Amino acid sequence: MLEQLFKILKAAGVFAWEVEDEKTEGWEFYFIRHALDQNRAKRVEHITVKVYQRIGEDSIGSAAAELPPTATAEEARKLVASLAYQATLAPNRAYTLNQPGPAHTAPRPAAPVDVPANARDYLAAMASVPETAGEDLNSYEIFTAAVTRRFVTSEGIDITETYPSSMLEAVVNARSGGHEIELYRMYKSGSCDAEGLRRDLARTMAYGRDRLHTVPTPPLGTADVIFSTDDAKEIYRYFIAHLDPSMVLRSMSDWKLGTPIEPDAHGDRVTLEALRTLPNSSRNRAFDAEGAPIRDVVMLRAGVPEHYLGGRMFSCYMGLTDSFIPGNFAVSGGTKSEAALRQGRYLEVVEFSDFQVDTMTGDIFGEIRLGYWHDGAAVTPVSGGSISGNMHDFLKEMYLSAEQVQFDNFRLPAVTKLCGVTVTGIETA
Amino acid sequence: MKAPFSPYLLGIKDGLKTLIAALERDYDYVSALATDSKGLAVQISQHAKAVRNETMTTERGICLRVWKDGLYSEYALNSFDPAAPERTYEAVKAALDAQLCVLRAAGAQVYDTPVLADEPLTCFVEKETEQLPETTDVRALVEKLTALSDRAMTLDKRMIEALASAQSTHICKMFLTKNRDLCQSYVYSEGNVAAVVMEDGRNQLDYAGVSGLCGPELFDQLADKVEAVVANAVELLSAGHIEPGEYEIITSPEVTGLIAHEAFGHGVEMDMFVKNRALGKEYIGKRVGSDICTMHEGALCAEDVTSYAFDDEGTLAGDVTEIDHGILRAGICDALSALRLGTQPTGNGKRENFEHKVYTRMTNTVFDSGESTLEEMIASVRHGYLLENMESGMEDPKHWGIQCIIKRGREIRDGKLTGAVVAPIIMTGYVPDLLGSISMCSRDRAVFGNGGCGKGYKEWVKVADGGPYLKTKARLG
Repeated sequence: MLEQLFKILKAAGVFAWEVEDEKTEGWEFYFIRHALDQNRAKRVEHITVKVYQRIGEDSIGSAAAELPPTATAEEARKLVASLAYQATLAPNRAYTLNQPGPAHTAPRPAAPVDVPANARDYLAAMASVPETAGEDLNSYEIFTAAVTRRFVTSEGIDITETYPSSMLEAVVNARSGGHEIELYRMYKSGSCDAEGLRRDLARTMAYGRDRLHTVPTPPLGTADVIFSTDDAKEIYRYFIAHLDPSMVLRSMSDWKLGTPIEPDAHGDRVTLEALRTLPNSSRNRAFDAEGAPIRDVVMLRAGVPEHYLGGRMFSCYMGLTDSFIPGNFAVSGGTKSEAALRQGRYLEVVEFSDFQVDTMTGDIFGEIRLGYWHDGAAVTPVSGGSISGNMHDFLKEMYLSAEQVQFDNFRLPAVTKLCGVTVTGIETA
Repeated sequence: MKAPFSPYLLGIKDGLKTLIAALERDYDYVSALATDSKGLAVQISQHAKAVRNETMTTERGICLRVWKDGLYSEYALNSFDPAAPERTYEAVKAALDAQLCVLRAAGAQVYDTPVLADEPLTCFVEKETEQLPETTDVRALVEKLTALSDRAMTLDKRMIEALASAQSTHICKMFLTKNRDLCQSYVYSEGNVAAVVMEDGRNQLDYAGVSGLCGPELFDQLADKVEAVVANAVELLSAGHIEPGEYEIITSPEVTGLIAHEAFGHGVEMDMFVKNRALGKEYIGKRVGSDICTMHEGALCAEDVTSYAFDDEGTLAGDVTEIDHGILRAGICDALSALRLGTQPTGNGKRENFEHKVYTRMTNTVFDSGESTLEEMIASVRHGYLLENMESGMEDPKHWGIQCIIKRGREIRDGKLTGAVVAPIIMTGYVPDLLGSISMCSRDRAVFGNGGCGKGYKEWVKVADGGPYLKTKARLG
């Protein structure tokens, strides 16, 4: 079907086109406790066609659709004709698609992905999680797949990448007497990181034990808050979004290259880097979704923007010729050790209902399911209430540990401290 | 007109029946869910315009479910050749057998589950719509949305972006077993307008949506939303911060819907009962809300984006009274969870798409109306907030905690709106306290279907929720 589709597109007389062909072979296992609830397999192919049309001298429009892999040539022709028309209806300022370069033709050794072996690794890892009478696995779901993505354009790009894709969802219970609580975890990665899973699930069970013995979060007014779990990714997504050309061009970000994002910052200044790969990241790719080569680029150095990175259209509008959509990130800039940041009074929140950072407004929110209130002397597990505030304000004073940890596609400081966060506690009689 | 059922699905029906018969040689239960849902999405802003023929629920594919020796297994594909069903039979057998080998080698025990009943049932439903996404006038729709975006930009000098989006999906699904032959076709649509404003380097955004069990004709309603959306976004620029604490609150129907969804939507999804992950299991027949608190869930209890005729397991749609005058009466249940719990499915077995597993999922989750007017409710508040528009929510069915992120609160003092606005707001609390404190419900109600719902942080499906204005108490921060 693909070769036929290319012929149809070439004959259609459209300005430009892109075709993505993604094939997935996936295995999924669902467990309740350690009993198999269901096993699932899938073999699917998704072909997405995007057609571009010139509209006058200064504009370009596009329209996209998925073509079923079982489509006939007649169906493909009809779809392309429809897209060719629709693409004339929605004009955007003219821009160019990614062009082929040396990176597109460089040999890329592809390691075969062994889905059954990866599934076996997950089964073995989950069977070896150190459970106790008080803490165990309520349920878990294993997803493992081999994905092959081919991306072909009218500009001459024709790239194929094969990569592993895995996800594990786990629910941990902890109980004491008649009281039982649960903690939720989702891990994404390339393939199974058995040791990492065991280590994090053991830590989660320890959190579970503590959560059984919390007191209501005191109404602290404001406090310094430490983030040491993957919730910290949400904080740094705010930085990534503010360096995205689509945010900058639309004035939703006022971060300028060469100008400090916060001139009055008196804490640590963030360095943010886009990386081509991180060990076992689920986002390790040579090219982005639009065919641009991915490379290592410093986006923000010590609080000063160096590079905007993002999708092709807005990058072109800003004159960025070598931009791409980044997938892996590293954050650094901490001047103190984790131990130094853990001095004094602070709240460390390790479980939220759902920690969120609004990348546009900078508002942060999260209901506290488990935190540790460090009052300078004692450490008290707390739950209830929430934290809130705005990243705009936190840029003035935030601290990063020099030590680093990795959460899938983010390498982050082991500890991030935001100062002056509003903590809505629970008044007790 | 009636939304016509997919010719593609009709074309593969015989081949699928042959495949089902072949699989029945090896398995004691076989079903096939086949989907062919087309859609249109148009997004217009001042800086980017796009037309796509895809939405969150467009798909074409098949999910096969089989049962043997207490175990349910599934296989998803989208390259079925109805002229060669044996080829698919071989692929299914090979893949599932290979999985069983790995599972046996790992020593996995099966969560033994009875076989589904396969009582004869046929249905062929084509619901009414004025237009179809496949044939709507895309040029006119683009022009309509562009005009909305342009108009929004003229309404305030602090506007930096105005978005207008519309998407419509024509759902076609066919569920087949040896004894069941169910076909449904319907169209749902949803549209949004959003305004982004900036002042002193700070951004604010507000939005409003429309949704319904109808075609692209729905999008005419978006024009009425533009002025209010811009005014609300501008108002957020000067909003103050709330003093954290517990307040009397009045929730707008959007916020009421969010509470319904998070509180006793997720809280009574009965696949969570199977895993002992929901406190609701122990509260059936017990009080969880005040006397004036009544809540329904089901594809039949409202006409919106998820009002189907049957669910993804071939169970006919229902209308469950979950809370009746404060008493928790029932949960919602998919077919396999019902077998495990010894109860009946409620028509709430949904998949993200044909590639995904079924879970118990919400459809329309709605509080019943009451007897009060909004004016009476405001007049009754000494110091509190009228909460409007929602951002997101998160449930904790195990402990009945709830987190709702709300766009803004309008201050009420001594029975009157003061004009002061606070934003944003995080509302947290214990669900029985929140529902137990409901003291007034307005006479009117509204249902909203613009959102998506995840199970944990995945498995996204369309849902709708709503209700009247509610007066209750909550902790705000």
